[in-house]
Amino acid sequence: MDESASALLPCRPTVVMVGMSVLRSAAAFAARLTPLKPGSSPANLLTRAIPRTDKAAIRWGHGKKMFVIKPSDYYDRRFLRLLQYYVLLTGIPVAIIVTGVNLFIGEAELAEIPEGYEPEHWEYYKHPITRWISRNLYDSPVKDYEKMMAAIQIEKEKADMRLTQMEVRRHMRESGDGPWFQIPTLNKDLIDHSPKASPDN
Amino acid sequence: MPADYDKDAYPEPPRKTPVVDKQTALPNPALILTKVFYYAVDLPVTTFRDVVDSIRSNNKLVYYHQRFRRVPDLTECQEGDYVCCYEAEMQWRRDYKVDQEIVKVVQERMKACQQREGDSYKQNCAREIQQFNDVTKNYQSRYGDLGAYASGRKCLMKQKERMMAAQAQSA
Repeated sequence: MDESASALLPCRPTVVMVGMSVLRSAAAFAARLTPLKPGSSPANLLTRAIPRTDKAAIRWGHGKKMFVIKPSDYYDRRFLRLLQYYVLLTGIPVAIIVTGVNLFIGEAELAEIPEGYEPEHWEYYKHPITRWISRNLYDSPVKDYEKMMAAIQIEKEKADMRLTQMEVRRHMRESGDGPWFQIPTLNKDLIDHSPKASPDN
Repeated sequence: MPADYDKDAYPEPPRKTPVVDKQTALPNPALILTKVFYYAVDLPVTTFRDVVDSIRSNNKLVYYHQRFRRVPDLTECQEGDYVCCYEAEMQWRRDYKVDQEIVKVVQERMKACQQREGDSYKQNCAREIQQFNDVTKNYQSRYGDLGAYASGRKCLMKQKERMMAAQAQSA
């Protein structure tokens, strides 16, 4: 049973293969520890079938051969196999790294801030991976705060400028003595008044 | 591993181990079991922890508790001063977090007291229970139904409602 199942699996080494060989060696060890009744052949030591010694069977071996007709489970097993592979591809290195960090570096301990010392922004976190991320990947919270305040200041200045522009438009439209809302008209000096110069033309 | 509780806070009574007066030749099963547990479980676990601690003590890390400066409140900000509003809002958020932690600490104290006293906790833990009730009532009245989008402004409005209700009641 074990050999046939192993033959069906592809030759990619997976965790299942390792588990199966462990199981097989454990079954052999258990068989050696507790020997079955006489009349049991080594073939069914693995399957742990208890033979009946009162009725002598004509056929020894596997048992009746059956041709099991069932729908193909190749696609399901392929999916699970690929899922396992791709999950473990990054899962195992991440697990090793996190375990190593927790074992060999360990979490930080709380301490009082020494006099006259300004701690860096990553020294306010406990876990070493959080400290690393804060040191290398993130900006310091002070910088983020200042960036946000700068954005707010810019928006405030834009809003103020828009409000003053609206006010100025209103004034320019009302009084009309400013540079805006001037409609260009023709020069009065260009008008030829000669047809109207004398009244009896 | 979390630190052990403060031994001076809850002092244990001095132990009174009796003198061993064995009168039979039969082995003591309790002694055998404790020795088995010690050698099979306790000793390997302690040695592993000592090994890991000795590796860890080479690179010791420290972290500090950050202290923030107090900035002007929302009530002390001008009408259009959005930067001041932002700083007040951040300060209010930090204070909100601190208040949540305070409630958690008081709750922890009450739970520890209940666990210690056992069945007579209603009588012996009256002080802790009273403190917990006060703290939670105050927290509820201040931050109670602000919701997920709570902000300093909404909390201020809630305080205004509270003051109005108190004034209407006293008048």
